[in-house]
Amino acid sequence: MHRPGKKNLLALGDKFRIYILFVLVFAFMSLFAPRFFNVFNLTSLLKSISMNASVAIGFTIVMICGQLDLSIGTVITFAGVLVLGLQPSLGFTAAAVVAVIAGGLVGWLNGLLVTKGKINSFIVTLGTMTILQGAIYQFSGGNSISVSTPEAFVVSDFLGKSLIPLVTPRILISLILVAIMEFVLRRTRAGRNFYIVGGNRSTAWLAGIHTDRYTIVAFVLSSVGAAIGGVFSVLESTSATLKLGENSLMYVISATIIGGTAMSGGKGGVLRSVIAILTLEMLYTGIILFGLGNEVKIFIAGLILAYVVLYEAYATWKHEKSLGQRPELMKELAERAALAARPASAE
Amino acid sequence: MSEDDIGLALQMRNVRKRFPGTIAVDDVSFEVYAGEVHALVGENGAGKSTLMKMLAGSFDDYEGQIFINSKEVKLHAPTTAKKYGIGMIYQELSLARPISIVENLLAGRLPRKGLLLDKAAARKQALALLKRVGLEIDPDLPIEDISPHEAQLVEIAKVLGNNPCILVMDEPTSALSREEVERLFAIIDTLRKRGIAIVYISHHLPEIFRIADRVTVMRDGKKIATKAIGEISREEIVQMMVGRSVKEFYKRDERQIGDTRLKVSGLSRFGFFHDVAFEAKQGETLGICGLSGAGRTELARVLVGLDRADEGRIELDGHEVQGRSMAEFLEKGIAYLTEDRKIEGLALRLAVDENILAPIVDRLSSSAVYSKSKGKSLIERLVAELAIYPPDPGRTVGNLSGGNQQKVLLAKWLASAPKVLILDEPTRGVDIGAKMTIHASIEKLAREGCTVILISSDLPELVGLSDRVLIMRKGHFTREMQYQECSEESLLLAANGDAAYGAVVGSAGEANGATAAGSAR
Amino acid sequence: MSDALDKRSLDSNSVGKIVNAAGSYGIALLLLALGALLQFTGVIHSFLSVQNMLNIVDTVALVGIVAVGMSFVTYSGHFADMSVPTTMGFTGYVCIELLRYGFIPAIIGALVVGLLIGLLNGFVVGKLRANPIIWTLAVNYVTMGVIRLIWVNKQIYPDMRGSGQEAVALFDNIYRFRFFNLIGLPVVILIILVIAGQFVMTKTTFGVKVKLTGSAFRAAKFSGINVERVIMAAFVLTAFTATISGLAVTSLSRVGAWYNGAGYDFKAVTAIVIGGMTLAGGRGSILGVLGGSLIIGILNNVMTLLGVGTFSQDMVRGAIFIAVVGVSAKSLRSLGRDDA
Repeated sequence: MHRPGKKNLLALGDKFRIYILFVLVFAFMSLFAPRFFNVFNLTSLLKSISMNASVAIGFTIVMICGQLDLSIGTVITFAGVLVLGLQPSLGFTAAAVVAVIAGGLVGWLNGLLVTKGKINSFIVTLGTMTILQGAIYQFSGGNSISVSTPEAFVVSDFLGKSLIPLVTPRILISLILVAIMEFVLRRTRAGRNFYIVGGNRSTAWLAGIHTDRYTIVAFVLSSVGAAIGGVFSVLESTSATLKLGENSLMYVISATIIGGTAMSGGKGGVLRSVIAILTLEMLYTGIILFGLGNEVKIFIAGLILAYVVLYEAYATWKHEKSLGQRPELMKELAERAALAARPASAE
Repeated sequence: MSEDDIGLALQMRNVRKRFPGTIAVDDVSFEVYAGEVHALVGENGAGKSTLMKMLAGSFDDYEGQIFINSKEVKLHAPTTAKKYGIGMIYQELSLARPISIVENLLAGRLPRKGLLLDKAAARKQALALLKRVGLEIDPDLPIEDISPHEAQLVEIAKVLGNNPCILVMDEPTSALSREEVERLFAIIDTLRKRGIAIVYISHHLPEIFRIADRVTVMRDGKKIATKAIGEISREEIVQMMVGRSVKEFYKRDERQIGDTRLKVSGLSRFGFFHDVAFEAKQGETLGICGLSGAGRTELARVLVGLDRADEGRIELDGHEVQGRSMAEFLEKGIAYLTEDRKIEGLALRLAVDENILAPIVDRLSSSAVYSKSKGKSLIERLVAELAIYPPDPGRTVGNLSGGNQQKVLLAKWLASAPKVLILDEPTRGVDIGAKMTIHASIEKLAREGCTVILISSDLPELVGLSDRVLIMRKGHFTREMQYQECSEESLLLAANGDAAYGAVVGSAGEANGATAAGSAR
Repeated sequence: MSDALDKRSLDSNSVGKIVNAAGSYGIALLLLALGALLQFTGVIHSFLSVQNMLNIVDTVALVGIVAVGMSFVTYSGHFADMSVPTTMGFTGYVCIELLRYGFIPAIIGALVVGLLIGLLNGFVVGKLRANPIIWTLAVNYVTMGVIRLIWVNKQIYPDMRGSGQEAVALFDNIYRFRFFNLIGLPVVILIILVIAGQFVMTKTTFGVKVKLTGSAFRAAKFSGINVERVIMAAFVLTAFTATISGLAVTSLSRVGAWYNGAGYDFKAVTAIVIGGMTLAGGRGSILGVLGGSLIIGILNNVMTLLGVGTFSQDMVRGAIFIAVVGVSAKSLRSLGRDDA
């Protein structure tokens, strides 16, 4: 009847790799890392991922579309600097809205240049990254911006206060965003279209899917996600350093790839990326809790990304090598091996 | 509208499409009735593909009029074409590899319940579509995990799923096995009975005589004629296609077959082919016949060092050939013309001469300094010998016609002056003129003492060129046939490994028989 | 008829090459003229002085050296090597650390480290076909981690008073030595590298192989070219030039720091792309890349003299970068040569 899918244990393990990894790291840290498994630490863990979680949403969608967005780190900082810089004149809400819209514009520009300008997304976003870096320093004068008005502290307190154990409003916002986008990607036609666009542009085009539109939307989502992450992070901490988004690019790339989103597009998911971020954060927190320095953290982070890229490349290489193997020949081989083994065991 | 127009599903009136420097389709009028299979034939570059792309909505600047069901339409976008019920099955697959079969089949129209996807309905629809093409497979598998011919069937199912009223098939059988071709023909028959207009593009004339009601021949962008299939013979079609009468295709010259050159024993690549053994002699053309997926290409890849054998021995002139890369095998004189021309065969962005010299870069250099001028006379000789048009070595290969590209590909391997040349589908998808040139060149090569191993699905080609044919089936060599016993029918039966199967392909065999008789023996 | 003629002339590769190469020098000359104009109209001063011209070539040298090596990666169709910044930083550390054993061992040590990074990149990208950008980004972070681990987050300085004073003085001179008291050593190295690079790319077997690999990876592989080795060599060359530039930068700043090479990845890619080398691979020339480096150098200089801040210069450079790629992509498309 139907040829069965590759549902052996190994393939299954590969598919749920990130969830298994998450459970393992969580269990290990809970058991061995000092001061890891308590409400306070877990809350701060969630707090510290809420920025990158919202960044990862859009970045993952860009990767699913088969593109790359190197500008996310600078968009985070840009939005953060913008919200605190504009807040005195506009107030918090308007400043936040402006910052997010500005982020969205960057994404729109990225998307436009990639689709209509037909420029490689690596080049485009490397360019906008440089432009934004300049803009950030231009806008801030090269200094961190911080606010210490009572109003700012009210906002900060609100965002950082636990509603129920483990969940603060800021964490909640990120969780809601992740839930919505995961749902959209999985269960709506528009969501699936991102995968088809990334899987094969001409297939999508011939099926009447507006590939350019989806690509632009992906870039906008990426920048908006980054901007939201930057805005809320700054609002909670009441200060915006110029290094705010510095490590996010590599953090989010690592997590997205570890989560199983394909670099070539057409595969992956938002939730997977976020779980991967959480896993990485647990690992890094653990490293610090074990009393190791920041340098170890940076080293391990790089190593993990390198390992995952290497693993993916190796797996693809292996897969391509075995593509087209005839099952009946493999069976014949197994029979031959069994035949060879039998006289030996009989003796 | 006159009476005659009734029943016309498609009418293209005086259409024309210009490209910078050329007119690809020149004042062509083309009609297809509902419930008709209309074959469209012509050499590569005759304008068939451009005409069909026009229909698919790929151009927004064609001239002339197009009527669908007697209503004039402007087909300026693929979505418009699709809306008017035009379905295209392309030669190159248009499936998304990482995506599941379901989503490929239903791309752009996944069923919804309210705002949300209805996954159960999607699966059901997908299974129904797969059933129409007789493919039993888990529809949740991604395309990258299924075989190329399964993918081709998925592609066909996908287009059928759009319920087209006009269906265009561009060489739909090139990746299919005989069995699957039969199934496809059955599908086409049902569609015809349902009143769907079908345009069938193929180089394979027996197929056309088997399935088509009428045939239109194109040459140099112009329509030459449209005829009912009963009123025209193969020879007439060929004559119209090439614009001159074709002499006998294959002439067997005296051949000098020498000592054993290549000896292969116990060769296996696990899961692809097992226990392959054969000898090939100097000056001999050894054909390898098998259905797609029989392991022919995989064998070739091992013979040239692209993949490594798990077991067995390859000897060239009595010495074992070992090496980790194709470069080492090439140096010893084993060369391989790949089945895929555009990605594996040629660097389309580079010039003709750069492509031809690619395998002998090392030979043209002295102490790491490359001298292209050393290859100049070689290039000139090859361009002339293969009649590569235009005869300009500086021309970018991507701008040549398919047939000329294939000639460049062959020239590239002739340049390497191999002792053993493995040809994998050397004339797939090329026009008759180029085919004749390539065949002549292969024969000359054999006469000069080169051992040619010819892997081909083109049975007349195998019969006409080979001294001996080895039959490969499901990863094993099953039979060896001398050229005296080779005919298209005998090869076909042997490749299918099933005597009873002969009845099924009988009608195709008859049509093929005409060629067999035509080819000189 | 004229259509056909046009097509023919555009078709010949050599014409395109000359236009590309001359294009970047044309822009460079235009920028020079602009600078001169601004000086004559009194907007800026001292643009046309010898000292200023030397400043320009000095900065061009540091970027240009990296760009020459990285051109081979781009030419081979593998975009760019993003591990350049920390390669430069790491080799600087290694050199300073080894100065106590003498100048030559220190240089050799740095080169060996650079070579190893290049080999690693080449192996993973060439053999396993990892995405070159993401892989080299990863290597960049790993190297950063290695630097921070080994030197525990500290910058290091050459020991000016210790035993290896002679070596330190030599090291100090990598950037500061001037032939005829005029032309700096890095500039001379750049000129040598450009000549050598141009020769290698156009006249040697290796260059032809890189071109074939960049133009059509699989076709090159199926022509019996050892593409893995070609790609490996391209990454090793990049690491080699990054090491040289890293040593010069470290010599300039007299400090081993992990941020020494920051931004050089982007600057080099900009120079390459503005110099007419396309990311699709197999097109462009080293001479063009030199022109690209000059453009960036002159542009920065003019902007600095105009009083434009460093960061606004970033913005301008980013915008120009995107614009140039956009225009060249468009012109290639109109020639019907866009098949990337």
